[in-house]
Amino acid sequence: MKKTSALDNSSKIIELVDVCKEFDGVSVVENMNFYVRKGEFITFLGPSGCGKTTTLRMIAGFDMPTSGKILLNGKDITALPPNLRPVNTVFQKYALFPHLNVYENVAFGLKQKRVETTYVDKKGNTKTKLEKLPAHVIAEKVKKALEIVDLSGFEKRSISTLSGGQQQRIAIARAIVNEPEILLLDEPLGALDLKMRKEMQLELKAMHRRLGITFIYVTHDQEEALTMSDTIVVMADGAIQQIGTPESIYNEPKNTFVADFIGESNIFSGVMPKDGEVRFCGKKFECLDSGFEKDEPVDVVVRPEDVKIKSVEDGILKGKVTSVIFKGIHYQILVQCGRYEIEIQSTTAPEVGDTVGLVIKPNGIHVMKKEFRVNKFTGVITKRNTVEFGDGEFECDVTQLYPGSHLDEEGYLITAKGEKLDLTDVEVNVEVDLHDITMSDNEGEGGAQGHIISLIYKSEYYRYIVRTENEEDYVLACEDLWNENDLVSLIIPKDKIRLTLKPAEGGKQ
Amino acid sequence: MTETKTKFHFSRKLLAIPYALFLAAFVVIPLLIVVYYAFTDDAGKFTWEYVRVFFNESGEGLLGFFQSYNFKTIMRSLFISTMSTIICLLIAYPVAYIIAHCKLKNKSTLLLLFIVPMWVNFVLRINALKELFVWLGIYNKSEAWNIVNTIIGMVYDFLPFMILPIYTTIIKIDKSYLEAAKDLGATPAKAFLKVTLPLSKSGIVSGVSMVFLPSMTNYVVSNYLTFRNVKIIGKLIDDYFTGDLWHDGSFIALILLLFMFLVTWLTGGFEADEQTNARGTSLW
Repeated sequence: MKKTSALDNSSKIIELVDVCKEFDGVSVVENMNFYVRKGEFITFLGPSGCGKTTTLRMIAGFDMPTSGKILLNGKDITALPPNLRPVNTVFQKYALFPHLNVYENVAFGLKQKRVETTYVDKKGNTKTKLEKLPAHVIAEKVKKALEIVDLSGFEKRSISTLSGGQQQRIAIARAIVNEPEILLLDEPLGALDLKMRKEMQLELKAMHRRLGITFIYVTHDQEEALTMSDTIVVMADGAIQQIGTPESIYNEPKNTFVADFIGESNIFSGVMPKDGEVRFCGKKFECLDSGFEKDEPVDVVVRPEDVKIKSVEDGILKGKVTSVIFKGIHYQILVQCGRYEIEIQSTTAPEVGDTVGLVIKPNGIHVMKKEFRVNKFTGVITKRNTVEFGDGEFECDVTQLYPGSHLDEEGYLITAKGEKLDLTDVEVNVEVDLHDITMSDNEGEGGAQGHIISLIYKSEYYRYIVRTENEEDYVLACEDLWNENDLVSLIIPKDKIRLTLKPAEGGKQ
Repeated sequence: MTETKTKFHFSRKLLAIPYALFLAAFVVIPLLIVVYYAFTDDAGKFTWEYVRVFFNESGEGLLGFFQSYNFKTIMRSLFISTMSTIICLLIAYPVAYIIAHCKLKNKSTLLLLFIVPMWVNFVLRINALKELFVWLGIYNKSEAWNIVNTIIGMVYDFLPFMILPIYTTIIKIDKSYLEAAKDLGATPAKAFLKVTLPLSKSGIVSGVSMVFLPSMTNYVVSNYLTFRNVKIIGKLIDDYFTGDLWHDGSFIALILLLFMFLVTWLTGGFEADEQTNARGTSLW
């Protein structure tokens, strides 16, 4: 999933190649491949636990990748300790040294620095040696850094007397005073209040322009990412979901996760009868997307601001207004069109209970390939003629493996030809449709259990991903709302589990 | 409006009363009695006599004092407790640091290994140590060996009191400070010197005061390990009191008190700790 760019390789300042990171056997970052261009403001965006901070810590050198390489200006720095990397970090909780004052904090990095100086010794040989920066140079640089963050005159203050916002600025000054090639920022605005945060966003952006160094920024706040970044890397579950400019990520999300995470969105299941045409909500719409198979099932994303309210006669969709909420610059309107609930943003609002018509322009429709159409597992038939797969055991109909077969009283399979087969330990492919799995609160009611790790509202149902203890994922659709992290038991009816024999030469896989 | 009845309010301050009573009964009043005895004669009249006896017993002025038995004992005590404290610190800091930074999940078990000796009776332990010295042939061998043996005994006895406070402060230091130091270009050694060490200062200070002061007075150690040949200030006081010389004993006790204040002051023990006193409530 490399970012496409017209720029050549020489402008890559940092590159991650197949980087994986595990903590105690649990994978946090999986096969990360991307690069950052010199001078860019790049943001890792994702929900907590998606691996974004771990990625940043690997670039800083605090964590070592389990496998893979990190290249800085083309050189492998994977094993380089943090003190030798030309990279500085602004920490989430600032990590300003409490025993030092503002000046000493900012000067800390400069005092560690050794510069090569050449001199001529008594014998006339030119020699180089490493020297500390002279005190007046340090003082001058600290002064300049404090000017940049607007805190001149704070040199003597102790850290504990500063407000959160001031500490934040000192943390930035402490990092940029070293003139790093890359500045890493780990959710630096997380502890500030909304107004302060907005101000700092703009200031950071301006600082980036002025300093011209590369900023790598980590946040879970999508608005912050859209406001500040040149490039956004959307991450979920330890993997990159999409890399692109804020505009492309907002307008052309690659999958339902990105569409749901960035901004508000209506996500529908639909089909593509042909290029430039998509069916969803029971209606045909013109769109700009192409390149899908005929009648391919797709996910359709429509931003709330792209749905326009018209009179009933003019609308493609008709529905009843169920809720109108004033949000300041616009109204958030919910319209129920049959089974589908559609969210709309508009500066004018209809009355609740009105029947309205809705239209969506072709450029307001974004069509994506469906990620999950069916759950596929590899399973094994047990002694009891059940099937084990996906960290669970389910009852199934094994006679579907051999057309015309039946089971005898002892549980052996009798094929149509009258052969007696013992299916124990036979490997099979298992397929289950999204709509055929149901969830239950009762432990042990279903064949497997796990926690809900993701849910996305798709206008007529919620799409859930349930992860079992051994990291097997089930994708399912359900109209009821469950909470993330709920522990659920998964029920699959016997006749909905489709089994096929594994090809014999396929080996163990 | 005049209040006729004051309602009883239970506040947290009231919880301090038992301790305040304890403090008065067992610290303040005894201390005042010591001061009283130090400056009065048998008839209960104020006198400088014992000050004079202490500093100028021989009548040769300060020069005589420097050669007096009392002065030598005090100097010996100071030497023993200073050495004990330094050695304790040199052993305890690395131990505390290693335990705090090791990747083991059960750090407290490891810490326990150093604390467990405290559970064995102190006199027993010192006696065992004595037997060890006898076996090694260094027991009561010479004056120098006696001093060394006393120091070994003090270190053995007080080491846990140095390890515990240092460990507690090191374990509390936020890891991000170290990361920040390394991020800013400090080598691991520099990061330790510039960040971990200064941030664990409070642990060192309380460790030092918990070892230095008791090792000036704990004459059980010196008695057992040197066949009563090494006298420290604690023994000196004991000798005066058992010899019914209460006034002399009291004055030396005051001198000891002076040392305690001095050490506490030098290690910054009187500085108000900004963080612990942040709530700004005082006892009274």
